[in-house]
Amino acid sequence: MKNTIHRAADGMEGGVAAASRVIAPVKIAARDVSVFYGEKQALFDVSLDIPDKTVTALIGPSGCGKSTFLRTMNRMNDTIPDARVTGRIEMDGQDVNDRSVDPVLLRAQVGMVFQRPNPFPKSIWENVAYGPKIHGLTSSKSELDDVVQSALKRAGLWDEVADRLQASATGLSGGQQQRLVIARAIAVNPEVILMDEPCSALDPIATARIEELIDELRERFCIVIVTHSMAQAARVSQRTAFFHMGRLIETGDTEEIFTNPRERRTLDYITGRFG
Amino acid sequence: MTDAADMNAAASTPMRDRLAAGLKRRHAREARFRWYGRLAIIAALAFLALLLGRIVSQGYHAFYTHTAAVPVYLDPARIDRSYPAGTNFEQLTAEQLLARWGVVDDAQGSKAKAMKSLFSSELKFRLAELVMKRPGLIGQTVPITTPFSDDADLYLKGEISRDVPSDQRRLTDQQLDWLDRLKAEGAVSARFNKALFLNGDSTEPELAGVLGAVVGSALMLLVTAVIAIPLGVGAAVYLEEFAPRNRLSELIEVNINNLAAVPSIVYGLLGLALFINWMHLPRASPLVGGLVLALMALPTLIIATRSSLKAVPPSIREAALAMGASRTQAVFGHVLPLAMPGVMTGAIISMAHALGETAPLLLIGMISFVPGVPMAIDQPAGALPSLIYIWENASERAFHERTAAAIMVLLAFMIVMNMAAIILRRRFERRW
Repeated sequence: MKNTIHRAADGMEGGVAAASRVIAPVKIAARDVSVFYGEKQALFDVSLDIPDKTVTALIGPSGCGKSTFLRTMNRMNDTIPDARVTGRIEMDGQDVNDRSVDPVLLRAQVGMVFQRPNPFPKSIWENVAYGPKIHGLTSSKSELDDVVQSALKRAGLWDEVADRLQASATGLSGGQQQRLVIARAIAVNPEVILMDEPCSALDPIATARIEELIDELRERFCIVIVTHSMAQAARVSQRTAFFHMGRLIETGDTEEIFTNPRERRTLDYITGRFG
Repeated sequence: MTDAADMNAAASTPMRDRLAAGLKRRHAREARFRWYGRLAIIAALAFLALLLGRIVSQGYHAFYTHTAAVPVYLDPARIDRSYPAGTNFEQLTAEQLLARWGVVDDAQGSKAKAMKSLFSSELKFRLAELVMKRPGLIGQTVPITTPFSDDADLYLKGEISRDVPSDQRRLTDQQLDWLDRLKAEGAVSARFNKALFLNGDSTEPELAGVLGAVVGSALMLLVTAVIAIPLGVGAAVYLEEFAPRNRLSELIEVNINNLAAVPSIVYGLLGLALFINWMHLPRASPLVGGLVLALMALPTLIIATRSSLKAVPPSIREAALAMGASRTQAVFGHVLPLAMPGVMTGAIISMAHALGETAPLLLIGMISFVPGVPMAIDQPAGALPSLIYIWENASERAFHERTAAAIMVLLAFMIVMNMAAIILRRRFERRW
């Protein structure tokens, strides 16, 4: 790997911290990414390396461009009329904005979880089976059943819904819905999972469960999470990037950002002086 | 401490008074508004009750009719066995009745003529049919049941009064006496007016029915639905979900909104020019009527579909797209099914609107008298609204109660359609 991220190896304790000390290869490399919505520029020349099998948190005040940046990685900005992206976003060395890249295929590799749980108003089973179905990943019903089961198990939802897979997904609680959506995303076995404030609509207990889940998923996926909660960023992520007014201000190991930020604005933000 | 508390109380008292005064005003305003609302609803209900009450009170007489059961001697001397249908059965019946009652006719046979006019021309057809089917009955006396003529029926229903001077009514005193005598003999019975539902239009009110118009309207709506629904929903889905937002699509949107407001008679003119004069489709057919109504329904349908597509939360669209669904998969797999209750309500409402539309039908010839029941979409047919228009303009008084009855049938048709809309909405409605 030509690009690797060398982490500070000091000042960390515990299992999670120990794991983050591993030198991880870069999964996504953003270079001079700018996003325009019509005349308005929302993101200014962001360059950021996102390591594989790591949780990277994007933090910053509202409207700072963190969600916009997240959505460039699976080209969800394509769905917004007038949105324009410049710069390069390379996933495993391939520019995702290249004309040869089919957004449909890209989104099969880059799953996404939104702020509000958005299960389809169909059964639990159908929600999870949707991705494998449209991408033709399974050849038989029983194979599909296995995929659904393992995705639900990995999302920590299986025990709660095993006996009502045909029940409507909208009948689940908010936290369960969000885990269902995560199960739906991992059912197609993506490489990257993008999470846009996945816990902002959830209560603390449901939030804790999602955070545990994120920590487990880190072993298999590259996870990028946008969060408003400093505490959550500190709890779940190993890398943190701080955005402000559409610019990437600072990036580094989470420990370091939270204990010893280089930038004044980062310090002000994480200590609650603004934002 | 106490000083401060006193000061607080002193400062807050005028504030509280002002608040209280304002609150009173606010409550009064709210109470007033509630009363306006109640009055508006009471007024609307009163008008509705008036309308329905008037239609029902005018029309309920049309749902029953009087028939006469009289014996007829099938006189071999008067029936041509080789051509029984040519027999003047009405004359035969009238003469026999007069003879039985010992009434002597004059040289012109005017009494038989007067008697004859009490019965519907149906009498002749029934007897002719009977004789043709069973020629062996000739020479025997058979009982025959026949509808009365419209005027006799009106008298029996109590709608023609003896108190009216005889030159101002269509039945003479003598005819009224005869009807009374028939009634006294037990030859008159009132029964459900099957003809109203089983017959097509007729110049004889007692034989006229709405079936032809109902079938015509249904065929027309079928054509409208088959053309307008797929076209309208397709256009709306494309415009809302796929079309690029630019000047052209804005222009199209403005035009669709304008077309929805174009008076329906203009669509009639368009249909006349396009479908009849240019494409030479059969005039007065449900096909042309349906095409015209489809043109008329399209803008409304497109607008209704687009607004229900817009109402689907974007999160569903995003969820599908983020899963790697193509735009088409997202729209047809998720967005459209969720918009379906709205789409169907829009479709059925626009169909119900089309059902009641009269003006365009005038221009494509569906206002003309069409006897019988249409069997195909290219045959001349009437429609319920045009039937109502024709009957309302008819000179026979008996048509007036039938007009009200036809209006009731049309309203029932619409109620059924609207109920279908509600049921479909309930069935397809899902939470998200």
